[in-house]
Amino acid sequence: MEKKGTFDISRLNGYLGKLGLKPLGFLLIILLAVIPLIITDQFWIRLLTSTLMMAALAMAFDFSAGFININNFGLAAFWGLGAYTSGLLAVNLGLSPWLGMLAGALAAAVLGFLVGLLTLRLSGIFASCMTWFVALALMALTTNWVELTRGSSGLSTPYLVDSLSNIPYYYVMLIIAIGVLILLRVITNSHIGMAFKAIGQDKQAAEASGINFVKYRIFNMTLSCALAGLVGGFYAHYTGVITPTMMHTSNTVEALAICYVGGRGSIWGAILSAFILVPAMELMKGMMEVRMIIYGVLLILVMLVYPAGLAGLCNALYKFMKDKGLFRKFGFVSKNVTGRS
Amino acid sequence: MDPSQIADPIITGLLRGGLYALMALGLALVFGVMNIPNFAHGDFYMVGAYLAFFSFTAFGLGPILSIIVAMFGAFILGVLVEKGVFYTLRKRSKKNWVMNTFLLTLGISIVLQNSVKMLFGANYRGVTAFWPGTMQIGSINVSIDRIVGFLIAIIAIAGFWVFLSKTKVGRSIRAVSQDETGSQLVGVNLNWIHTLTFGLSCAVAALAGASLLSITPASPGMGLTPLYKSWFVCILVGMGNVGASIWGGLLLGILETFAYMQFGAGWQDAISLAVIILILLFKPSGLFAKKGVKSALE
Repeated sequence: MEKKGTFDISRLNGYLGKLGLKPLGFLLIILLAVIPLIITDQFWIRLLTSTLMMAALAMAFDFSAGFININNFGLAAFWGLGAYTSGLLAVNLGLSPWLGMLAGALAAAVLGFLVGLLTLRLSGIFASCMTWFVALALMALTTNWVELTRGSSGLSTPYLVDSLSNIPYYYVMLIIAIGVLILLRVITNSHIGMAFKAIGQDKQAAEASGINFVKYRIFNMTLSCALAGLVGGFYAHYTGVITPTMMHTSNTVEALAICYVGGRGSIWGAILSAFILVPAMELMKGMMEVRMIIYGVLLILVMLVYPAGLAGLCNALYKFMKDKGLFRKFGFVSKNVTGRS
Repeated sequence: MDPSQIADPIITGLLRGGLYALMALGLALVFGVMNIPNFAHGDFYMVGAYLAFFSFTAFGLGPILSIIVAMFGAFILGVLVEKGVFYTLRKRSKKNWVMNTFLLTLGISIVLQNSVKMLFGANYRGVTAFWPGTMQIGSINVSIDRIVGFLIAIIAIAGFWVFLSKTKVGRSIRAVSQDETGSQLVGVNLNWIHTLTFGLSCAVAALAGASLLSITPASPGMGLTPLYKSWFVCILVGMGNVGASIWGGLLLGILETFAYMQFGAGWQDAISLAVIILILLFKPSGLFAKKGVKSALE
């Protein structure tokens, strides 16, 4: 019999399960929320903010790559589109950066919808190429349309908040990242996620079992691009200056590498690997080449040796501990706990 | 309209397009035979340019010899990459092969590009000319290097054509591209053919990079433009269609030159991107679609 008002870990577990979280993940989120109270060094706060930003981008990437099997090779351009939409609206029309972020997401969503619509007939790899070509075209356009975007000299944008401290930005980004995580986890844990996976594995079999291919694929592309645009809108008002190089393929590659190292199709693996890779890379500042080589080698190794990535590693570890009964031993309730997907 | 207004862009475009065709040939070959959408193709082009630069300046080899050195170097590099990466993956699993190899080539591209950057820095390394001088064609002056580059491309393409259609090894390569299992049944050594094909494709890319060295100087990021141009050509004519990639290359060269003359510098890429997007939308199997050739459709 459970008494009213007592703390019940399995009920908490149930609530978190609906949000696609696990108790450990929840603890880590709380930890992230209190970090600015402990670490006040601006450098670390900025680093954590950019880590969260890369994590959010990698999650958006994973939503397409890990489920419907389309590597959105133009993700950086959608990110850049969000940033430029928000930045230009703020500079030319004086729109508030907060609304600008939403406008950025909307612009990226519209383009994502169009690209999704246009690539419906194409198979995975060509759809990826198409997104890449759209991204290259968008970057060329941004660079050459100097009257509007100021070209490669960059566009100065107003800041999101009137503060010298980086902590408000950190919290905004944290909320965005957690929002993205929960949203994507909820979607992918539902029947929609199943439909995505079915489409990604075998289009014909999925259609034969009554899955509306058109609806799900377009929905996936649109949402993934919209999230990238939202993060882009934040970025524009965080750095204060945006240049067309943010649309460069190398930024997509970074998100891609983080997503794959984290484990394709897990969503949360992207956060984990972002928190390992981005700070590690930042500490090697000035050695950009070494950084990229490490990304490349990691990508090759993950693909060749352990395609499940960090998320797969954690799941294997979790399963191992559960099989040995280690959780019960340490007093964790294991009734409702199932392995992370 | 003045006839030279039409003729000049066509001549410039053809000279440009010959090397696009050569690049696209290598890409189409690897896609047709091994089913690998090679994202690192441009980086072998870059490796070729660097090898040619160092053999030409540091070792004082002649232009022809430098280009040959570049080809052989890239061939060996290609063989190593195939054995180290793709062979390993093929042994492990062939599931979702196209997408997985695409990502692997991406990794290779990052590693190659940044290793070169780390070793030699990001600055441009070019030579003024392999063969100094210009030539008058119609009303325009063309540097001899461009013409020689075009001739090299034509000779290499012709050589490839003879190799693929007349020799035993070349026929085995074509057999593998048509049907892997079938070719194994008649005694083709699949592993060997795959390694050779990848090596050859890299050598061809390096040949293009080396012979254009005086026009586009060597730098770590130089591979991106030839890469997506060869992708364009392949999609334009239909992926894996080796023969038609020649026409596609020439066509793209002419298209770009016209776009450049009409809209000015910087816009030619946007125009050709728009064209390729239209092709993917309305004719995804390519302009010269052929039965048995893989297409972009599901």
